[in-house]
Amino acid sequence: MDWLAIWLSVKLATIVATILLLIGLPIAYWLTFSAWRWKFLVEAVVALPLVLPPTVLGFYVLVAIGSRSPLGRAWTAWTGHGLAFTFEALVLASILYSLPFAVQPIAASFAQVDGTLLEASSTLGSSRWRTFVRVLLPLSFEGVLAGAVLSFAHTLGEFGVVLMVGGNLPGITRTVSISIYDSVQAFDQAAANQTALLLLAFSFAVLAGVYALRRKSWSVSPL
Amino acid sequence: MIQLMLFRRTFVRLSMVVGLGLLSTTAAAQDLSIAAASDLQAVFPVVAERFERETGKKVGLTFGSSGNFFSQIQHGAPFDLFFSADHDYAVRLEASGLAERGSLYRYAVGRIVLWTRNDSGIDVRRGLSVLVDPRVKRVAIANPEHAPYGRAAVAALQREKLYEAVRPKFVFGESVSQAAQFIQSGNSEAGIIALSLALGPALRANGSYSEVPAGSHPPIEQSAVITSASRHKDVARQFLSFLKQPEISRMMQDFGFTIPSNP
Amino acid sequence: MSLTASVHKRLSEHFSLDIDMSAMPGITMVFGASGSGKTTLLRCLAGLVKPDSGCITIGAEVLFDSVRSRSVPVQQRHIGYVFQQLALFPHLSAEDNIGYGLAAMSPELRRQRVKAIAESLHITHLLSRLPDAISGGERQRVALARSLVTDPAFLLLDEPLSALDHATRSRIMDDLRAWNVAHRIPILYVTHSHREVFALGERVIVLDGGKITSDGTPHDVMESPAHETLAQLAGFDNFFDGTVTVRRADAGTMQCRLDGSGTEMEVPLSRGAVESPVRVAIRAGDILLATSEPRGLSARNVLPGRLVSLKREGATVIAGVEAGERFLVHVTPGACESLRLGVGDPVWLIIKTHSCRLVSL
Repeated sequence: MDWLAIWLSVKLATIVATILLLIGLPIAYWLTFSAWRWKFLVEAVVALPLVLPPTVLGFYVLVAIGSRSPLGRAWTAWTGHGLAFTFEALVLASILYSLPFAVQPIAASFAQVDGTLLEASSTLGSSRWRTFVRVLLPLSFEGVLAGAVLSFAHTLGEFGVVLMVGGNLPGITRTVSISIYDSVQAFDQAAANQTALLLLAFSFAVLAGVYALRRKSWSVSPL
Repeated sequence: MIQLMLFRRTFVRLSMVVGLGLLSTTAAAQDLSIAAASDLQAVFPVVAERFERETGKKVGLTFGSSGNFFSQIQHGAPFDLFFSADHDYAVRLEASGLAERGSLYRYAVGRIVLWTRNDSGIDVRRGLSVLVDPRVKRVAIANPEHAPYGRAAVAALQREKLYEAVRPKFVFGESVSQAAQFIQSGNSEAGIIALSLALGPALRANGSYSEVPAGSHPPIEQSAVITSASRHKDVARQFLSFLKQPEISRMMQDFGFTIPSNP
Repeated sequence: MSLTASVHKRLSEHFSLDIDMSAMPGITMVFGASGSGKTTLLRCLAGLVKPDSGCITIGAEVLFDSVRSRSVPVQQRHIGYVFQQLALFPHLSAEDNIGYGLAAMSPELRRQRVKAIAESLHITHLLSRLPDAISGGERQRVALARSLVTDPAFLLLDEPLSALDHATRSRIMDDLRAWNVAHRIPILYVTHSHREVFALGERVIVLDGGKITSDGTPHDVMESPAHETLAQLAGFDNFFDGTVTVRRADAGTMQCRLDGSGTEMEVPLSRGAVESPVRVAIRAGDILLATSEPRGLSARNVLPGRLVSLKREGATVIAGVEAGERFLVHVTPGACESLRLGVGDPVWLIIKTHSCRLVSL
């Protein structure tokens, strides 16, 4: 059982899901409430990873951060080593790849909150930030949670982009999906089975836990 | 209100995990990172383990297609040693300065074989012509675009004038080991793979092979280089010397490799 | 402190809001049909919508001035706004809803203030409940409490009580009036129901097509409706087109001939010259019915006709009478019975001069 790969994957998925929550909330807010006429362009860019094959995205990320790219060279100058084929590169690629899985459920959830409630909050003297925290977020809690869970699960299962950008380095970029693939390549079906089953069980447990929590956040407790 | 509290608690816990994760150093610190062609899948884990025992230095092995490693190294992949199944990739890396000049070492010459599972009913002793048999619906080889073993397979088939007949049945593995895996799992009835893989414990047990004449394709010359960006060049050199030891050479030969004489 | 507003906002190609009004402390009704611009006016005053031009002030404070490019954001206008749908926060208890606008206060002080307003609006027993566990008039009281507890400079109510029955509505309005005795702020109450105007109103502003068409007490505005839309809203059922034939300035009356039938009617004097068109509005309840030709009556309009339809609607019978024009007349069921009215009977309509109202075309 490749515990290292499992830990790496969980670590990657957790970090990515957290970062995506932090950047996804403002993006989703802007997409829901902005009236900019070119907004549809931003929506298309956010949705792009949904339709791009992972290899295309992986290729572009590699080109963008590889040792020959300006970004890669700047990174090397700053840190002393390259950006590609590191854990940080996986985080970056996964953020791009899982972005729509975070932004879209959150934006959809924001959109279904009654606008009059937000106006009422303003008439009662609340700043936009306070309205966001005390009215919008609690009432769209389900969507925010869905965004976090979906981006976590999506990152956990990611293979193509990770392989291209990560280089399959054991303990550094060999995530559990790659590890399973490696086991298969080494004709070690038993190891592959074991790891895959664990991944399946873990993902299922996470999702089931989240769905169990998912009641309407303002209903009276059934106790 | 309860849900809001739960959300806050979960969020705090999550932040702690993230924080710890970011602080923790990644994984087992390795002394040597090796990119190895996938035909070495059967023999290199043993070699690496011996090396670790004798020198105490930890080795990280990554198997894959030589062509993929070539492009990854060009983009800065942090491997110390690259064991290519194609001499040409090694030469180009040396020429472009991405590999240490003078570090090129021809470590093996590979062979291709025709392989099938024992229960497939295909008699590989008949040679490559058996691939034309209608019972053979799919033929697995490594992708000739970037895998030397794939190119050798195509060359051998062309030599025997079987290429056009067999081509529609091709199933490409991303590496020669994936091609072998296709056959081993029953997704292809037969295929052309590396001799070293066929001699490996997993395949030897439930399949049979027949060697493809060495003259029917350009020789698979396999060379290794130390990358210029490597920070462990001394350990890399240590590993290369280790390979040259008679005991390890014998091990490589047991897996069907011919050790060429290096100038 | 009074609220003054001159607001101009173009909403579409055909519709723009053009208001010039002021409201003193006390309740001012804003009456108009749907689409007349009432809600837009409230939203402009609240700061939820920006007028194209104009000026809004409360007391000495300027909330909006297009000339000086000044616009106070809604959060800082210190208003109370009760939305039509109430907009109670579904995830907060009544107490938290009411205390929402008091965030800057210490929790202890906030609790006291919430308790005080809840007492004055009789909802202390609901404070711990969530909105979906509160029903009917009590939800309106919570919404009202939420707006009032912040001690706003003025209060805007957008048809807040229309779904309630008359008794509940008047009780809530009594509580609101009692509250306002102590606070004396302008309260703008928007409605499209003329019954509400009569039941609640102090002063009423009438909005039609984005403009103020009448301003005064409910009686002034509703009894002599200057415009047909208002007249229809105010419960007039008979409308006829006619032409002025004779003007009797000394008597204060005019004679007009109804188009189509040629029926002559005496109506109150208006500005129209002879031969100018008029539109006459008469309430069905203002017309008397006689089964034999009446004599010696003071009423100046006695029209012979035929009863063509009888329909019972609740406590009233609506009679359709063909007398040159088709008239709708209200009679009590008792009268219907004692006169033994039947369809096809010849009848006479008796209409006083001043029951005929002239509305603008």
